[in-house]
Parts: sequence; C-alpha cells; structure tokens
Amino acid sequence: MAPKPITSPVPEVWYPTLAVVMLAVGLVLTAFFFIYEATSSRKTRSLAKELTTGAVASVFLGFGSLFLLLSSGVYV
Amino acid sequence: MKIHRQGMGLRLDLLVFMFVVSISFLCRTVLSDLVLSKVDRRADLRSQIVRVISTLKVENGGSNLVSEVLLAFPDKQVKYLAYLGATSNGGKGKAKDFTNSLPVQVAHPKDMPSSLTFYSVTLPKGLAKGESFTLDVLAAYTHALQPFPEKISQAEIQLLVFQDSSYFLSPYAVKFQSLSVKLPDARIESYTKLDNTKIHGSEIKYGPYENLPPFSYSPIVVHFENKQPFAVARELVRELEISHWGNVQVTEHYNLNHGGAQLKGEFSRLDYQSRPHVRGASAFRHLVAKLPPRTRSVYYRDEIGNISTSHLWGDSKKTELEIEPRYPLFGGWRTAFTIGYGLPLHDFLFESQGKRFLNFTFGSPINDLVIDTLIVKVVLPEGSADISVSTPFPVKQSQETKISHLDIAGRPVVVLQKTNVVPEHNQYFQVYYKFNSFAMLREPLMLISGFLFLFLTGIVYIHADMSISKSSPSYLAKLQWDEVRAAVQQVQNIISRCITLHDKLEASLHDLARTGDIQACKAARKAADGSLKELTKELKPLLASLQSSQQAAQILPKVEDLIVKEKDLQERLLAKHSTVVDCYEKKIGGKEIENRVALHQQKISVLWQEVDDLLDFIDEI
Repeated sequence: MAPKPITSPVPEVWYPTLAVVMLAVGLVLTAFFFIYEATSSRKTRSLAKELTTGAVASVFLGFGSLFLLLSSGVYV
Repeated sequence: MKIHRQGMGLRLDLLVFMFVVSISFLCRTVLSDLVLSKVDRRADLRSQIVRVISTLKVENGGSNLVSEVLLAFPDKQVKYLAYLGATSNGGKGKAKDFTNSLPVQVAHPKDMPSSLTFYSVTLPKGLAKGESFTLDVLAAYTHALQPFPEKISQAEIQLLVFQDSSYFLSPYAVKFQSLSVKLPDARIESYTKLDNTKIHGSEIKYGPYENLPPFSYSPIVVHFENKQPFAVARELVRELEISHWGNVQVTEHYNLNHGGAQLKGEFSRLDYQSRPHVRGASAFRHLVAKLPPRTRSVYYRDEIGNISTSHLWGDSKKTELEIEPRYPLFGGWRTAFTIGYGLPLHDFLFESQGKRFLNFTFGSPINDLVIDTLIVKVVLPEGSADISVSTPFPVKQSQETKISHLDIAGRPVVVLQKTNVVPEHNQYFQVYYKFNSFAMLREPLMLISGFLFLFLTGIVYIHADMSISKSSPSYLAKLQWDEVRAAVQQVQNIISRCITLHDKLEASLHDLARTGDIQACKAARKAADGSLKELTKELKPLLASLQSSQQAAQILPKVEDLIVKEKDLQERLLAKHSTVVDCYEKKIGGKEIENRVALHQQKISVLWQEVDDLLDFIDEI
C-alpha cells in the first residue's frame, strides 16, 4: 500500500472565514448571555437557559479562537 | 618553497612508517585474492569540503567467492572523514547518486596495522574467479584543508594546504592508477612534483602509476589560493514541529563560524566598503538556503530582532532564501541567528499501515555548509505513541518532551544528534508514530472549556447571594424590590400576550373581509376568548402580590391603570368583533358595518395608544 499524504481535516483556506463567522456568532451569543444575566430578575431567570446559552457560546468561541490561531500562523 | 618543505617533512615520518608497514605486509599472505585493476581518483578542492571520488575496478584473482571490498584510511584522514558512500558505477557521464548506495561498514580485519581504519563495502553479488566489478566511492572530508598561514590580514588572500597520497592506499595490489586534483581557478603556490606529474590549468594530475604493491604510499602536498569563505556551523539545532491542523514548522538555530584563515590585525570597514573584493575577499557576504517548495511565513532573526537583509524567491520546485549576516564575517568570526519557516503538512506527513510518518531531509538547507554538531528535534503532536525512527546513517537518538501551545502533558520529542555533517547527509529520514485523529479535538476542547468556565463563573456570580447581613433593612428592601420587579415583568409579559391575541382577532376580521368565511372567524374568536380568560386569571394573583408589597407603592397605580386600560381595550375589541361578525351573518353591506364600528374603532385607537405609553413607562422603571 502506497503511503497516503495526511492533510488537515478542514481545508486551510477556510480558516480565516471560519474564524470570523464563528467568533461573530460566539460574541453575539455572549452578548445575549450577559444581557440576560443583567436584566432578568432572580425570580424570572431560568438556569437551563443560562447554561445552554453559555455552552453554545463557548463552543462557537472555542472553535472560533482555534481557527483564529490557525489562520494567524500559530499552529497548535 | 619553505612551506612546501615543511609539509614534506611532516609527512616524511608517516612515509617511513608506512613504508615499513608495506614491506612487512608484502611478506605476509595478502588479505584476499582481490586485485584493483584500475583506480581513478578525483579530488575536488574547490569548496571547503574535500570530496574524493574514487572509481575502483575490482577483480577477483583467486578461486574463492568474494563479496566484500576493504577500503583503508589512515587515522589522520579518518578524523576528518564526514561521509563515505559507495555505489556501483553506472558508466561515464551518469550522475552519481550516492543515496542509493552499497552498504558500507567499519571493519576490523585481523593482522592489519592499527594506524589504519578499514571500511568494508558489500558488493551486490559475490565475485567469482576472474569476474570484475566497478564501483564509485565518495569520501567527503571536513576541516581537511588547513589554512597556511593560519592568520591573514584583511587584504591578504587565504592560502590552503591539502595533503594526501599520490598512490591509492589499499590492502590490495593496484595495477593501474591515477589521481587528479581539481583546484579553484586561482594561483597555485606550490605542489609536490613527482614523476608523471602534469598540470592543466587548475587541475594537477598524478600518474598513471602501474603495478604497485598493497599499502603503497607517497605523500603529496598542494598549497593553493582559495577565496571562498568557510561557513561552519559549530552547532545547528533544527526543530520540526508537526501540527495535524496542516503545518510542519521548521526552526533552525545556527551558531555560525568562519572556519578559514583567521583575521590578523584590525578590521577596516572603510577598506571593506570601498573595495570589498580586494580587502575582504574571504569574508562572507551571504548564504543561500534552498528550502522546499510551498514554504510560507519565512523569518530570519537573531537575539536583537528581525534581520532585514534577506531575499526570498521561489517557484514550483523550490524556494530560495538568501540571507546576509549583520556584519561581514571574517576568519574566526562568529554569528548566531535563527531562520524559521512553515511547510504544508501533506508534502511531508504520510500514513501507511495504520502508522503515520514524517519524511524529511536530515541536513541543513544552506548550500555548502559544514556542521560540527547537528541536532534534529522532531516535535510530535501530543498523544503520539509507538515512536520509531529510521535514518539512512547511524545517529545518536534520545527522547524528551516539550510544552507548547495548549498542552497538558507535553509533546514527545525525538532528538537525533550527529557530528560532522556535510551536504551529502541531506537524505530523507522517517519518524513513525501512532496517532488517533480524535486527539486533534484536544485543543478546541481546551479552548471551549476555558470559555465555558468563564460563563459558569458568571452564572455562579449572579446566582450567589453575597450580602453579609441577611436581616438588614436594605437587604430586605432589595429582596422585596426584586419580587416587585419579577411581578411587574410577569404582568408585562401577560399584557404583551394579550396584545398578540388582539392582533390575531384583528387579523381574523381582515380575513373575514377578504374571504367571507364566518366560521373561521368564529373559531378564532372562540380560541382568543379562552386564552384571554386564562390570562386574566393569571393576572389576579400578581396584582394581589403587588398590592401587598410596600415597595410597589410607586409603580402600582401605573400597573393597575395598565390592567384597566387593557381590559377596556379587550372589551371594545370583542364588541367590535361581535358587531362585524353579526353584520356579516345578516349580510349587511360594508358601508353600514363601517358606521356601526366607527365608534368602537375610535375608542380602540385611543386605548391602544394609552396602553403603549403605559408599557413604555413601566419598561423605563
């Protein structure tokens, strides 16, 4: 069996686009999270909603910052 | 000529010794029945590395099958020997490829003088009686060219001394042999003149000599001019860092030295600038590194920072980097710098039989560089296991770990060390390892957990009750105010749901006017009625709690007002709805309907406005 070259799981030309899109979505969700935290009162707040917003935002921010690092040449 | 004689005298001891050795050996039985029927040696002295290519025609004179040929080197030369390769001769004119070569090993044959080191070349197949085989042997020596004089001033030209034997030193008898020494295009100070010595331009020819016994030795010395700077890396550390996200990062730390004749006296920058080719001929101005194609983000820096004197150009086959040191380098001067570049992963990393392997060149990409100590570090991704290395020549191996970006346990590093490296060592080596693709998710998961931790801290902070005194009036007031706020929010919520229902009712009226479907309109009304009733029910306890709270005293009138206005609005709307539906059932014309509804409509718009204003007002609180 001939050796097969190994490539990155995501094409490298997508890194900047992915970084911008995922960071934008992540930051919007973060903003929503903090606005919700600040405006809702103790009674009306729902923990499930807070946790889901936080989790989804951190997934987007995490991948977004990874692609930002990769596109700026810091190959982790 | 004095210099010449000195060299001769130096060599004379060895000559005498070798002569004794050869005599003693002539009396004994010869090692094997091999005879070298023709030896053609070409020594290339044009660069700092001495390359001697010998073409040997080996003939088996005995009756035993022979599969090994011994090569002898005096210890003085072995000290300088950096590379020894042998390959079968493919005929004249063919490019010599020493990478695909015959195996060469150190040998320790019995009854041989201890001042010689032997290497044995294994032939592709055994030689039977009378058969012959032609092979090429390449020997590369470093530091073999001695500058003489050892120190020169800035304006002087570097002179070098080369010593060798005009006869091929061999444990076998040699029938026919010749040696040619290729020198750079410059003046030749002196050379040993033996019989059969000819000079053609910059090439000196010794021989041919015929029928010489084993271990024949006849020293020669060549003293010649060479303006070439000698780039010697005392230490080079190459670090290859693999990232499965698509990059092989190469960082090379050079510790460079000019290995030629040392500079004597002071250095004059003015002389150097005005006539660089006369005053500073052997200083080096630039180095050229041949990098692989598709190289990206190349940098060249040292401890101070970026060095701007570099040029880069490339095509589909290679990338060339030309770098200039911060200052011209004269003999004995040193400099240290770092170059780094990224390479696309798919050119160097492959997968085969469940294992991944890196296929990379061992030596430095810089042309004609001698490296005293080369350390190659291969940094594998975190989570690599089952690491093994395959190199075309023996190297010292060890392992360590390195903590890099987003690492917990550190990355496994394979360290390969070799001394005396020449460009001939620029051969591919492989590092095999096992790696699970899911381990790539380690880095994003770390980033995600970092952000998640931030959010969780936020949630905990908001939820935690930080007040020290749980019974102080201000704390209680705050709690009450929170409750009021929650209740008001719920009221707002309910009102806005009512308004949505109102909009639905209006929409159903529009539909009725368009389609005339009375049943659908009635159904919509019924649904809205039910919902509105429930919402009204929900409002009651909220209002009661607000009325009981002191804190709500300010806002209460507004809320009550809002509820009343909304109720009014709701009644008006329902009345309007009933009227319109009624009219449709009785098939009364559009004009009449408008007249009947007009009063309601007027009130509704006024109320609508008032409800909106109140909602805005409460929102601001």
